[in-house]
Amino acid sequence: MAKPGLLVVLLAAVLLMGCTHAEESSIAPLTPTAGRVDPGLGPGTRALSSGPGYKGSPSWSPDGTRIAFTVDGYVVDGPTTSGESRRWTTKDFVATDTEWTSEETLTILGAASSSEREAGSSLYRANAGEGSLALQRIAKGVLAMSPIPGEDTLVFALASGTRGSELALTRNGKTSYRVHANSTIEGRVSALSLSPDGDEAVMAVRPRGHPEMSELRTFDFRQDEGHEVARLEGDREVVGTPQWTEQGIYFVAGKQTTSLDDDSSEPLFELYRVPADGSAPEPAPGVGEDFVASSIRVSPEDDRLAVIGRLNPKSPANLYVLDPAAKKLEAITANEDMEIKTDPDDLAWSPDGANVAIIARGTPSTEPEVRTEPADRLLRDFYNLYEIPVSEETAR
Amino acid sequence: MRGVAVWFSGAALAFLLTAGVFLLLANIATIPSEKSLAPEPPEAASQPVVELELNADQLASLKPEPDQNLNLTVRNENSTPLSDVNVTLSVSSENTALSRSRYYRQMVEEVPANGTADIPFDFNLSEPKQRVTGRPASEPAREILEIKATTPDGISATKTVILPP
Repeated sequence: MAKPGLLVVLLAAVLLMGCTHAEESSIAPLTPTAGRVDPGLGPGTRALSSGPGYKGSPSWSPDGTRIAFTVDGYVVDGPTTSGESRRWTTKDFVATDTEWTSEETLTILGAASSSEREAGSSLYRANAGEGSLALQRIAKGVLAMSPIPGEDTLVFALASGTRGSELALTRNGKTSYRVHANSTIEGRVSALSLSPDGDEAVMAVRPRGHPEMSELRTFDFRQDEGHEVARLEGDREVVGTPQWTEQGIYFVAGKQTTSLDDDSSEPLFELYRVPADGSAPEPAPGVGEDFVASSIRVSPEDDRLAVIGRLNPKSPANLYVLDPAAKKLEAITANEDMEIKTDPDDLAWSPDGANVAIIARGTPSTEPEVRTEPADRLLRDFYNLYEIPVSEETAR
Repeated sequence: MRGVAVWFSGAALAFLLTAGVFLLLANIATIPSEKSLAPEPPEAASQPVVELELNADQLASLKPEPDQNLNLTVRNENSTPLSDVNVTLSVSSENTALSRSRYYRQMVEEVPANGTADIPFDFNLSEPKQRVTGRPASEPAREILEIKATTPDGISATKTVILPP
Protein backbone atom coordinates (compact mmCIF):
# COMPACT_ATOMS: atom_id res chain seq x y z
CA MET A 1 0.00 0.00 0.00
CA ALA A 2 2.71 2.49 -0.89
CA LYS A 3 0.53 4.18 -3.52
CA PRO A 4 -1.63 6.37 -1.20
CA GLY A 5 1.52 7.61 0.53
CA LEU A 6 3.14 8.42 -2.79
CA LEU A 7 0.03 10.28 -3.88
CA VAL A 8 0.04 12.42 -0.72
CA VAL A 9 3.72 13.30 -1.21
CA LEU A 10 3.14 14.21 -4.86
CA LEU A 11 0.08 16.30 -3.99
CA ALA A 12 2.06 18.22 -1.33
CA ALA A 13 4.92 18.80 -3.80
CA VAL A 14 2.55 20.16 -6.42
CA LEU A 15 0.86 22.50 -3.93
CA LEU A 16 4.20 23.70 -2.59
CA MET A 17 5.53 24.34 -6.07
CA GLY A 18 2.40 26.18 -7.10
CA CYS A 19 2.38 28.45 -4.06
CA THR A 20 6.01 29.53 -4.27
CA HIS A 21 7.66 31.76 -6.83
CA ALA A 22 10.96 33.46 -7.33
CA GLU A 23 11.69 36.34 -4.98
CA GLU A 24 10.77 39.69 -6.56
CA SER A 25 12.69 42.90 -6.32
CA SER A 26 10.80 46.17 -6.60
CA ILE A 27 11.33 48.30 -9.69
CA ALA A 28 12.03 51.90 -8.94
CA PRO A 29 9.59 54.31 -10.61
CA LEU A 30 10.89 56.54 -13.34
CA THR A 31 11.78 60.06 -12.32
CA PRO A 32 9.31 62.49 -13.86
CA THR A 33 10.80 65.19 -16.04
CA ALA A 34 8.81 67.87 -14.26
CA GLY A 35 9.07 68.39 -10.55
CA ARG A 36 12.71 67.42 -10.35
CA VAL A 37 14.26 67.66 -6.93
CA ASP A 38 16.74 70.39 -6.29
CA PRO A 39 18.96 69.53 -3.34
CA GLY A 40 19.94 73.14 -2.71
CA LEU A 41 16.70 73.90 -0.87
CA GLY A 42 16.37 70.75 1.21
CA PRO A 43 14.62 67.38 0.99
CA GLY A 44 11.17 67.21 -0.52
CA THR A 45 11.67 70.28 -2.67
CA ARG A 46 10.15 70.09 -6.16
CA ALA A 47 10.80 72.37 -9.07
CA LEU A 48 7.65 73.90 -10.54
CA SER A 49 9.37 75.59 -13.47
CA SER A 50 12.61 75.40 -15.40
CA GLY A 51 14.62 77.37 -17.90
CA PRO A 52 15.47 81.05 -18.28
CA GLY A 53 13.26 84.00 -17.39
CA TYR A 54 12.85 86.40 -14.49
CA LYS A 55 9.98 84.81 -12.59
CA GLY A 56 7.78 86.34 -9.92
CA SER A 57 4.40 86.63 -8.22
CA PRO A 58 3.43 82.94 -7.91
CA SER A 59 -0.23 82.17 -7.32
CA TRP A 60 -1.73 78.72 -6.75
CA SER A 61 -5.06 77.86 -8.41
CA PRO A 62 -7.95 77.28 -5.96
CA ASP A 63 -7.75 73.47 -6.33
CA GLY A 64 -3.95 73.50 -6.08
CA THR A 65 -3.35 71.72 -9.39
CA ARG A 66 -1.84 74.69 -11.24
CA ILE A 67 0.40 77.62 -10.43
CA ALA A 68 0.50 80.96 -12.27
CA PHE A 69 3.44 83.34 -12.25
CA THR A 70 5.07 86.12 -14.21
CA VAL A 71 8.07 85.54 -16.50
CA ASP A 72 9.89 88.67 -17.62
CA GLY A 73 6.59 90.50 -17.17
CA TYR A 74 4.20 88.22 -19.06
CA VAL A 75 1.94 85.69 -17.33
CA VAL A 76 2.06 81.90 -17.60
CA ASP A 77 0.67 79.02 -15.61
CA GLY A 78 1.47 75.34 -15.47
CA PRO A 79 0.42 72.15 -13.72
CA THR A 80 2.08 71.50 -10.37
CA THR A 81 2.83 67.89 -11.39
CA SER A 82 3.89 67.70 -15.03
CA GLY A 83 2.60 68.95 -18.33
CA GLU A 84 2.63 71.89 -20.66
CA SER A 85 2.49 75.47 -19.47
CA ARG A 86 0.07 78.05 -20.86
CA ARG A 87 0.72 81.68 -21.65
CA TRP A 88 -1.99 84.15 -20.57
CA THR A 89 -0.67 87.44 -21.94
CA THR A 90 1.41 88.62 -24.85
CA LYS A 91 5.13 88.94 -24.23
CA ASP A 92 5.04 92.75 -24.22
CA PHE A 93 2.62 92.77 -21.29
CA VAL A 94 4.14 93.72 -17.95
CA ALA A 95 2.28 92.22 -15.00
CA THR A 96 3.02 93.10 -11.41
CA ASP A 97 0.57 90.73 -9.72
CA THR A 98 -1.57 87.73 -10.65
CA GLU A 99 -4.36 86.14 -8.62
CA TRP A 100 -6.76 83.29 -9.37
CA THR A 101 -10.40 84.25 -8.90
CA SER A 102 -11.75 80.86 -10.09
CA GLU A 103 -10.31 77.62 -11.50
CA GLU A 104 -10.51 79.10 -15.00
CA THR A 105 -9.97 82.80 -14.36
CA LEU A 106 -6.91 84.86 -13.57
CA THR A 107 -7.02 88.48 -12.52
CA ILE A 108 -3.90 90.33 -13.60
CA LEU A 109 -2.59 93.70 -12.48
CA GLY A 110 -0.33 95.23 -15.10
CA ALA A 111 0.01 97.24 -18.26
CA ALA A 112 -0.44 96.08 -21.84
CA SER A 113 1.55 98.83 -23.55
CA SER A 114 4.29 101.35 -22.86
CA SER A 115 1.80 104.25 -22.93
CA GLU A 116 -0.39 102.47 -20.41
CA ARG A 117 2.62 101.76 -18.22
CA GLU A 118 3.27 105.48 -17.91
CA ALA A 119 -0.34 106.05 -16.86
CA GLY A 120 -0.31 103.30 -14.21
CA SER A 121 -1.48 99.73 -14.00
CA SER A 122 -4.86 98.37 -15.01
CA LEU A 123 -6.80 95.39 -13.73
CA TYR A 124 -7.52 92.67 -16.29
CA ARG A 125 -9.43 89.43 -16.30
CA ALA A 126 -8.25 86.48 -18.41
CA ASN A 127 -10.07 83.22 -18.99
CA ALA A 128 -8.38 79.87 -19.62
CA GLY A 129 -9.02 78.15 -22.91
CA GLU A 130 -9.82 81.21 -24.96
CA GLY A 131 -6.53 80.75 -26.74
CA SER A 132 -6.29 84.29 -28.04
CA LEU A 133 -4.39 85.85 -25.14
CA ALA A 134 -7.35 88.26 -24.95
CA LEU A 135 -7.70 90.23 -21.74
CA GLN A 136 -10.78 92.04 -20.51
CA ARG A 137 -9.97 95.28 -18.76
CA ILE A 138 -11.87 95.83 -15.53
CA ALA A 139 -10.43 99.16 -14.41
CA LYS A 140 -7.65 101.67 -15.08
CA GLY A 141 -5.43 103.26 -12.47
CA VAL A 142 -5.44 100.25 -10.13
CA LEU A 143 -2.94 100.37 -7.27
CA ALA A 144 -3.35 97.00 -5.52
CA MET A 145 -5.70 94.03 -5.37
CA SER A 146 -6.72 91.12 -3.18
CA PRO A 147 -9.08 88.24 -4.03
CA ILE A 148 -11.64 86.97 -1.53
CA PRO A 149 -10.79 83.25 -1.21
CA GLY A 150 -13.54 80.90 -2.33
CA GLU A 151 -15.45 83.60 -4.20
CA ASP A 152 -15.06 85.00 -7.68
CA THR A 153 -14.73 88.39 -6.05
CA LEU A 154 -11.88 90.84 -5.88
CA VAL A 155 -11.25 93.94 -3.78
CA PHE A 156 -8.95 96.51 -5.31
CA ALA A 157 -7.66 100.03 -4.68
CA LEU A 158 -8.13 102.68 -7.37
CA ALA A 159 -6.21 105.91 -7.76
CA SER A 160 -8.51 108.83 -7.01
CA GLY A 161 -7.68 112.47 -7.74
CA THR A 162 -4.10 113.64 -7.53
CA ARG A 163 -2.98 111.71 -4.44
CA GLY A 164 -6.03 109.83 -3.15
CA SER A 165 -7.33 106.26 -3.35
CA GLU A 166 -10.62 104.44 -2.99
CA LEU A 167 -11.69 100.82 -2.66
CA ALA A 168 -13.73 98.95 -5.26
CA LEU A 169 -15.24 95.51 -5.69
CA THR A 170 -15.79 93.31 -8.74
CA ARG A 171 -17.89 90.13 -8.52
CA ASN A 172 -18.82 86.96 -10.40
CA GLY A 173 -16.37 87.32 -13.24
CA LYS A 174 -17.84 90.60 -14.45
CA THR A 175 -15.79 93.40 -15.92
CA SER A 176 -17.87 96.02 -14.10
CA TYR A 177 -17.02 97.15 -10.59
CA ARG A 178 -18.50 99.15 -7.74
CA VAL A 179 -16.62 101.77 -5.75
CA HIS A 180 -17.24 101.26 -2.06
CA ALA A 181 -19.00 104.16 -0.35
CA ASN A 182 -16.93 106.21 2.13
CA SER A 183 -13.75 104.41 1.19
CA THR A 184 -11.80 107.46 0.03
CA ILE A 185 -8.26 107.42 1.43
CA GLU A 186 -6.01 110.47 1.69
CA GLY A 187 -2.98 108.92 0.07
CA ARG A 188 -1.90 106.27 -2.39
CA VAL A 189 -2.47 102.63 -1.47
CA SER A 190 0.60 100.53 -2.26
CA ALA A 191 -0.62 97.15 -1.01
CA LEU A 192 -3.87 95.57 0.12
CA SER A 193 -5.05 92.35 1.78
CA LEU A 194 -8.13 91.16 3.64
CA SER A 195 -8.89 90.07 7.19
CA PRO A 196 -9.53 86.35 7.87
CA ASP A 197 -13.33 86.90 7.72
CA GLY A 198 -13.02 89.06 4.58
CA ASP A 199 -14.97 91.91 6.20
CA GLU A 200 -12.00 94.26 6.54
CA ALA A 201 -9.07 95.32 4.42
CA VAL A 202 -5.60 96.32 5.60
CA MET A 203 -3.59 98.65 3.40
CA ALA A 204 -0.14 100.18 3.18
CA VAL A 205 -0.61 103.86 2.28
CA ARG A 206 1.63 106.79 1.35
CA PRO A 207 -0.25 109.73 2.95
CA ARG A 208 -1.03 112.72 0.75
CA GLY A 209 1.55 115.47 1.23
CA HIS A 210 3.87 113.27 3.33
CA PRO A 211 6.01 111.25 0.92
CA GLU A 212 8.45 110.44 3.71
CA MET A 213 5.75 108.71 5.74
CA SER A 214 4.08 105.34 5.44
CA GLU A 215 0.76 104.40 7.01
CA LEU A 216 -1.01 101.21 7.84
CA ARG A 217 -4.78 101.62 7.50
CA THR A 218 -7.78 99.34 7.79
CA PHE A 219 -11.24 99.66 6.27
CA ASP A 220 -14.34 97.89 7.64
CA PHE A 221 -16.72 97.04 4.78
CA ARG A 222 -19.64 96.44 7.18
CA GLN A 223 -19.27 99.73 9.03
CA ASP A 224 -18.01 101.73 6.03
CA GLU A 225 -15.26 103.08 8.26
CA GLY A 226 -11.53 103.41 7.85
CA HIS A 227 -8.89 103.69 10.59
CA GLU A 228 -5.21 104.53 10.76
CA VAL A 229 -3.50 101.65 12.53
CA ALA A 230 0.09 102.82 12.48
CA ARG A 231 2.17 105.63 11.03
CA LEU A 232 5.85 105.14 10.26
CA GLU A 233 8.03 108.24 10.07
CA GLY A 234 11.64 109.00 9.26
CA ASP A 235 11.69 107.52 5.74
CA ARG A 236 10.60 104.15 7.03
CA GLU A 237 8.03 102.46 4.86
CA VAL A 238 5.82 99.41 4.78
CA VAL A 239 7.26 96.94 2.29
CA GLY A 240 4.99 94.54 0.46
CA THR A 241 1.54 93.52 1.58
CA PRO A 242 0.52 93.52 5.28
CA GLN A 243 -0.92 90.16 6.37
CA TRP A 244 -3.85 89.72 8.74
CA THR A 245 -3.59 86.72 11.08
CA GLU A 246 -5.69 85.59 14.02
CA GLN A 247 -3.05 87.18 16.30
CA GLY A 248 -3.01 90.55 14.59
CA ILE A 249 -1.67 92.32 11.52
CA TYR A 250 1.93 91.58 10.48
CA PHE A 251 3.96 93.82 8.19
CA VAL A 252 7.53 94.31 7.02
CA ALA A 253 8.98 97.82 7.35
CA GLY A 254 12.27 99.65 7.30
CA LYS A 255 14.36 102.22 5.49
CA GLN A 256 14.70 101.50 1.77
CA THR A 257 18.09 103.24 1.65
CA THR A 258 19.65 101.59 4.70
CA SER A 259 22.76 99.59 3.94
CA LEU A 260 24.55 98.49 7.08
CA ASP A 261 26.16 95.50 5.51
CA ASP A 262 29.15 96.23 3.29
CA ASP A 263 28.74 92.91 1.52
CA SER A 264 25.18 93.57 0.46
CA SER A 265 23.15 96.51 -0.71
CA GLU A 266 19.96 94.82 0.43
CA PRO A 267 18.09 97.02 2.91
CA LEU A 268 17.46 95.65 6.38
CA PHE A 269 13.74 95.35 7.09
CA GLU A 270 12.07 94.14 10.24
CA LEU A 271 8.89 92.20 10.86
CA TYR A 272 6.30 93.99 12.99
CA ARG A 273 2.95 93.06 14.49
CA VAL A 274 -0.07 95.15 15.35
CA PRO A 275 -1.69 93.04 18.09
CA ALA A 276 -5.30 91.95 17.64
CA ASP A 277 -6.37 94.37 20.40
CA GLY A 278 -5.25 97.27 18.18
CA SER A 279 -2.38 98.49 20.36
CA ALA A 280 0.80 100.03 18.93
CA PRO A 281 3.00 98.05 16.51
CA GLU A 282 5.79 96.00 18.07
CA PRO A 283 8.60 93.85 16.69
CA ALA A 284 7.02 90.52 15.84
CA PRO A 285 7.36 88.18 18.83
CA GLY A 286 9.31 85.00 18.25
CA VAL A 287 11.55 85.94 15.33
CA GLY A 288 14.60 87.22 17.20
CA GLU A 289 15.95 90.75 17.31
CA ASP A 290 18.53 90.25 14.52
CA PHE A 291 16.01 88.77 12.08
CA VAL A 292 15.85 90.54 8.70
CA ALA A 293 12.50 90.05 6.95
CA SER A 294 11.85 90.39 3.23
CA SER A 295 8.42 89.08 2.41
CA ILE A 296 5.51 87.51 4.28
CA ARG A 297 2.35 85.62 3.36
CA VAL A 298 -0.40 84.35 5.67
CA SER A 299 -1.49 80.70 5.35
CA PRO A 300 -4.94 79.76 3.98
CA GLU A 301 -6.09 79.03 7.56
CA ASP A 302 -4.79 82.46 8.71
CA ASP A 303 -2.87 80.82 11.54
CA ARG A 304 0.69 80.74 10.16
CA LEU A 305 2.93 83.18 8.41
CA ALA A 306 5.43 82.19 5.72
CA VAL A 307 8.44 84.50 5.99
CA ILE A 308 11.44 84.85 3.69
CA GLY A 309 14.23 86.39 5.69
CA ARG A 310 17.61 86.05 7.33
CA LEU A 311 18.35 85.15 10.94
CA ASN A 312 20.86 88.01 10.87
CA PRO A 313 22.12 90.36 8.13
CA LYS A 314 25.07 88.06 7.35
CA SER A 315 23.16 84.79 7.08
CA PRO A 316 21.61 83.42 3.87
CA ALA A 317 17.95 84.00 3.04
CA ASN A 318 15.68 81.12 3.95
CA LEU A 319 12.02 80.25 4.20
CA TYR A 320 10.59 80.27 7.71
CA VAL A 321 7.12 79.65 9.09
CA LEU A 322 6.04 81.72 12.08
CA ASP A 323 3.35 80.39 14.39
CA PRO A 324 1.96 83.67 15.78
CA ALA A 325 0.02 81.95 18.57
CA ALA A 326 3.03 80.01 19.85
CA LYS A 327 5.46 82.84 18.93
CA LYS A 328 7.65 80.20 17.33
CA LEU A 329 9.72 80.57 14.16
CA GLU A 330 10.64 77.38 12.31
CA ALA A 331 13.23 77.20 9.53
CA ILE A 332 11.73 75.34 6.56
CA THR A 333 14.76 75.50 4.27
CA ALA A 334 18.41 75.16 5.25
CA ASN A 335 19.78 76.96 2.24
CA GLU A 336 23.43 77.88 1.97
CA ASP A 337 24.14 78.29 -1.72
CA MET A 338 20.89 79.37 -3.37
CA GLU A 339 19.69 82.93 -3.84
CA ILE A 340 16.08 83.02 -2.69
CA LYS A 341 14.21 85.88 -4.35
CA THR A 342 13.13 88.39 -1.74
CA ASP A 343 10.65 90.63 -3.57
CA PRO A 344 7.45 91.13 -1.57
CA ASP A 345 5.17 89.00 -3.79
CA ASP A 346 7.55 86.13 -4.42
CA LEU A 347 6.00 83.50 -2.18
CA ALA A 348 2.62 81.77 -2.07
CA TRP A 349 0.89 79.11 0.03
CA SER A 350 -0.77 76.12 -1.62
CA PRO A 351 -4.52 76.07 -0.93
CA ASP A 352 -4.18 73.10 1.45
CA GLY A 353 -1.50 74.86 3.49
CA ALA A 354 0.96 71.99 2.97
CA ASN A 355 3.45 73.75 0.69
CA VAL A 356 4.91 77.15 -0.01
CA ALA A 357 6.11 78.23 -3.45
CA ILE A 358 9.27 80.33 -3.53
CA ILE A 359 11.61 81.50 -6.29
CA ALA A 360 15.33 80.82 -6.18
CA ARG A 361 18.46 80.31 -8.25
CA GLY A 362 22.07 79.34 -7.74
CA THR A 363 24.60 82.13 -7.36
CA PRO A 364 25.44 83.38 -10.87
CA SER A 365 29.05 83.06 -11.95
CA THR A 366 31.13 85.84 -13.42
CA GLU A 367 32.60 83.31 -15.89
CA PRO A 368 30.81 81.51 -18.75
CA GLU A 369 28.99 78.47 -17.43
CA VAL A 370 28.65 75.32 -19.56
CA ARG A 371 25.86 72.81 -19.02
CA THR A 372 25.00 69.55 -20.78
CA GLU A 373 21.23 70.09 -20.81
CA PRO A 374 19.12 72.33 -23.07
CA ALA A 375 18.48 75.77 -21.59
CA ASP A 376 14.77 75.16 -21.02
CA ARG A 377 15.56 72.24 -18.67
CA LEU A 378 18.04 74.06 -16.47
CA LEU A 379 17.00 74.88 -12.91
CA ARG A 380 19.70 76.46 -10.77
CA ASP A 381 21.08 78.75 -13.45
CA PHE A 382 17.92 80.85 -13.54
CA TYR A 383 15.26 82.01 -11.13
CA ASN A 384 12.75 79.17 -10.90
CA LEU A 385 9.76 78.23 -8.78
CA TYR A 386 10.10 75.58 -6.10
CA GLU A 387 7.46 73.86 -4.02
CA ILE A 388 8.70 73.62 -0.43
CA PRO A 389 6.81 71.27 1.88
CA VAL A 390 6.27 72.59 5.36
CA SER A 391 6.97 70.16 8.18
CA GLU A 392 4.30 68.09 9.90
CA GLU A 393 4.58 70.26 12.99
CA THR A 394 3.69 73.39 11.04
CA ALA A 395 1.19 71.69 8.69
CA ARG A 396 -2.05 71.39 10.57
CA MET B 1 -13.29 -3.38 -7.69
CA ARG B 2 -9.52 -3.59 -7.37
CA GLY B 3 -9.18 -2.80 -11.06
CA VAL B 4 -11.23 0.37 -10.68
CA ALA B 5 -9.03 1.50 -7.78
CA VAL B 6 -5.85 0.88 -9.83
CA TRP B 7 -7.24 2.82 -12.80
CA PHE B 8 -8.30 5.70 -10.51
CA SER B 9 -4.89 5.83 -8.79
CA GLY B 10 -3.11 5.71 -12.13
CA ALA B 11 -5.19 8.54 -13.57
CA ALA B 12 -4.61 10.69 -10.45
CA LEU B 13 -0.87 9.99 -10.56
CA ALA B 14 -0.68 10.94 -14.25
CA PHE B 15 -2.61 14.15 -13.58
CA LEU B 16 -0.38 15.14 -10.67
CA LEU B 17 2.82 14.40 -12.58
CA THR B 18 1.65 16.46 -15.57
CA ALA B 19 0.55 19.37 -13.36
CA GLY B 20 3.84 19.27 -11.49
CA VAL B 21 5.87 19.40 -14.67
CA PHE B 22 3.84 22.38 -15.95
CA LEU B 23 4.27 24.27 -12.68
CA LEU B 24 7.99 23.57 -12.69
CA LEU B 25 8.31 24.87 -16.24
CA ALA B 26 6.26 27.96 -15.39
CA ASN B 27 8.49 28.82 -12.42
CA ILE B 28 11.68 28.28 -14.39
CA ALA B 29 10.41 30.57 -17.17
CA THR B 30 9.61 33.48 -14.81
CA ILE B 31 12.80 33.53 -12.78
CA PRO B 32 14.80 35.97 -14.95
CA SER B 33 11.88 38.32 -15.63
CA GLU B 34 12.80 41.02 -13.07
CA LYS B 35 16.30 41.39 -14.41
CA SER B 36 15.10 41.61 -17.98
CA LEU B 37 12.85 44.57 -16.99
CA ALA B 38 15.82 46.78 -16.26
CA PRO B 39 15.67 49.72 -18.68
CA GLU B 40 18.15 49.89 -21.47
CA PRO B 41 20.76 52.62 -21.18
CA PRO B 42 19.81 55.62 -23.30
CA GLU B 43 22.63 55.06 -25.71
CA ALA B 44 23.65 51.48 -26.27
CA ALA B 45 27.35 50.79 -26.55
CA SER B 46 27.00 49.69 -30.14
CA GLN B 47 25.50 53.04 -31.21
CA PRO B 48 27.68 55.96 -32.25
CA VAL B 49 28.41 58.39 -29.44
CA VAL B 50 28.95 62.02 -30.24
CA GLU B 51 30.37 64.63 -27.88
CA LEU B 52 30.78 68.39 -28.07
CA GLU B 53 33.84 70.17 -26.75
CA LEU B 54 34.17 73.92 -26.17
CA ASN B 55 37.21 76.04 -25.55
CA ALA B 56 36.91 77.81 -22.18
CA ASP B 57 39.32 80.62 -23.16
CA GLN B 58 37.36 81.30 -26.31
CA LEU B 59 34.09 81.41 -24.38
CA ALA B 60 35.60 83.87 -21.91
CA SER B 61 36.68 86.16 -24.75
CA LEU B 62 33.18 86.50 -26.27
CA LYS B 63 31.74 90.02 -26.28
CA PRO B 64 28.19 91.30 -26.83
CA GLU B 65 29.09 92.44 -30.34
CA PRO B 66 28.69 91.21 -33.93
CA ASP B 67 31.35 89.01 -35.57
CA GLN B 68 32.09 86.65 -32.71
CA ASN B 69 33.91 83.36 -33.31
CA LEU B 70 33.68 80.00 -31.64
CA ASN B 71 35.45 76.80 -32.67
CA LEU B 72 33.50 73.73 -31.63
CA THR B 73 34.91 70.23 -31.59
CA VAL B 74 32.70 67.26 -32.36
CA ARG B 75 34.16 64.07 -30.94
CA ASN B 76 33.21 60.63 -32.25
CA GLU B 77 33.66 58.09 -29.47
CA ASN B 78 32.72 55.15 -31.64
CA SER B 79 34.96 52.85 -33.67
CA THR B 80 33.17 53.64 -36.93
CA PRO B 81 33.14 57.03 -38.69
CA LEU B 82 30.16 59.36 -38.36
CA SER B 83 28.81 61.18 -41.37
CA ASP B 84 26.43 64.11 -41.87
CA VAL B 85 26.48 65.39 -38.30
CA ASN B 86 24.18 68.42 -38.01
CA VAL B 87 25.54 71.10 -35.66
CA THR B 88 23.36 74.06 -34.64
CA LEU B 89 24.10 77.12 -32.54
CA SER B 90 21.31 79.30 -31.20
CA VAL B 91 21.87 82.63 -29.51
CA SER B 92 19.10 83.87 -27.24
CA SER B 93 18.61 86.14 -24.27
CA GLU B 94 17.85 85.12 -20.72
CA ASN B 95 15.01 87.63 -21.04
CA THR B 96 12.36 85.40 -22.58
CA ALA B 97 10.11 88.36 -23.39
CA LEU B 98 12.54 89.37 -26.14
CA SER B 99 11.59 87.80 -29.44
CA ARG B 100 15.13 87.87 -30.80
CA SER B 101 16.87 84.54 -31.30
CA ARG B 102 19.58 83.83 -33.83
CA TYR B 103 20.18 80.41 -35.35
CA TYR B 104 23.29 79.09 -37.10
CA ARG B 105 23.76 75.66 -38.65
CA GLN B 106 26.60 73.63 -40.12
CA MET B 107 26.82 70.10 -41.49
CA VAL B 108 29.92 68.01 -40.75
CA GLU B 109 30.42 65.53 -43.55
CA GLU B 110 32.53 63.08 -41.58
CA VAL B 111 33.93 62.64 -38.11
CA PRO B 112 36.58 59.87 -38.13
CA ALA B 113 36.30 56.88 -35.84
CA ASN B 114 37.54 57.78 -32.35
CA GLY B 115 38.45 61.17 -33.75
CA THR B 116 37.30 64.77 -33.85
CA ALA B 117 36.17 67.44 -36.28
CA ASP B 118 36.53 71.17 -35.68
CA ILE B 119 33.65 73.43 -36.70
CA PRO B 120 34.14 77.20 -36.71
CA PHE B 121 31.05 79.32 -36.06
CA ASP B 122 30.84 83.05 -36.79
CA PHE B 123 27.85 84.63 -35.10
CA ASN B 124 26.30 87.84 -33.87
CA LEU B 125 26.22 88.38 -30.11
CA SER B 126 25.18 92.04 -30.13
CA GLU B 127 22.50 93.10 -27.66
CA PRO B 128 18.95 93.72 -28.85
CA LYS B 129 17.61 97.20 -29.36
CA GLN B 130 14.27 96.21 -27.86
CA ARG B 131 13.19 98.01 -24.73
CA VAL B 132 13.46 95.79 -21.68
CA THR B 133 10.51 96.26 -19.36
CA GLY B 134 9.68 92.99 -17.64
CA ARG B 135 12.69 92.73 -15.35
CA PRO B 136 14.45 95.17 -13.05
CA ALA B 137 17.55 97.04 -14.15
CA SER B 138 19.49 95.25 -11.42
CA GLU B 139 18.93 91.97 -13.29
CA PRO B 140 20.58 92.38 -16.70
CA ALA B 141 19.71 89.48 -18.97
CA ARG B 142 22.55 87.11 -19.82
CA GLU B 143 23.11 85.71 -23.30
CA ILE B 144 22.61 81.98 -23.80
CA LEU B 145 24.33 79.86 -26.45
CA GLU B 146 22.75 76.48 -27.10
CA ILE B 147 24.83 74.12 -29.22
CA LYS B 148 23.53 70.79 -30.45
CA ALA B 149 25.19 68.08 -32.57
CA THR B 150 22.85 65.47 -34.05
CA THR B 151 23.71 62.40 -36.11
CA PRO B 152 21.37 61.07 -38.83
CA ASP B 153 20.47 58.29 -36.37
CA GLY B 154 19.14 60.87 -33.93
CA ILE B 155 21.98 60.60 -31.44
CA SER B 156 22.69 64.06 -30.11
CA ALA B 157 24.82 66.01 -27.67
CA THR B 158 23.91 69.40 -26.22
CA LYS B 159 25.96 72.11 -24.57
CA THR B 160 24.36 75.24 -23.13
CA VAL B 161 26.62 78.19 -22.37
CA ILE B 162 25.42 81.01 -20.11
CA LEU B 163 27.51 84.10 -20.63
CA PRO B 164 27.87 86.61 -17.78
CA PRO B 165 26.44 90.09 -18.44
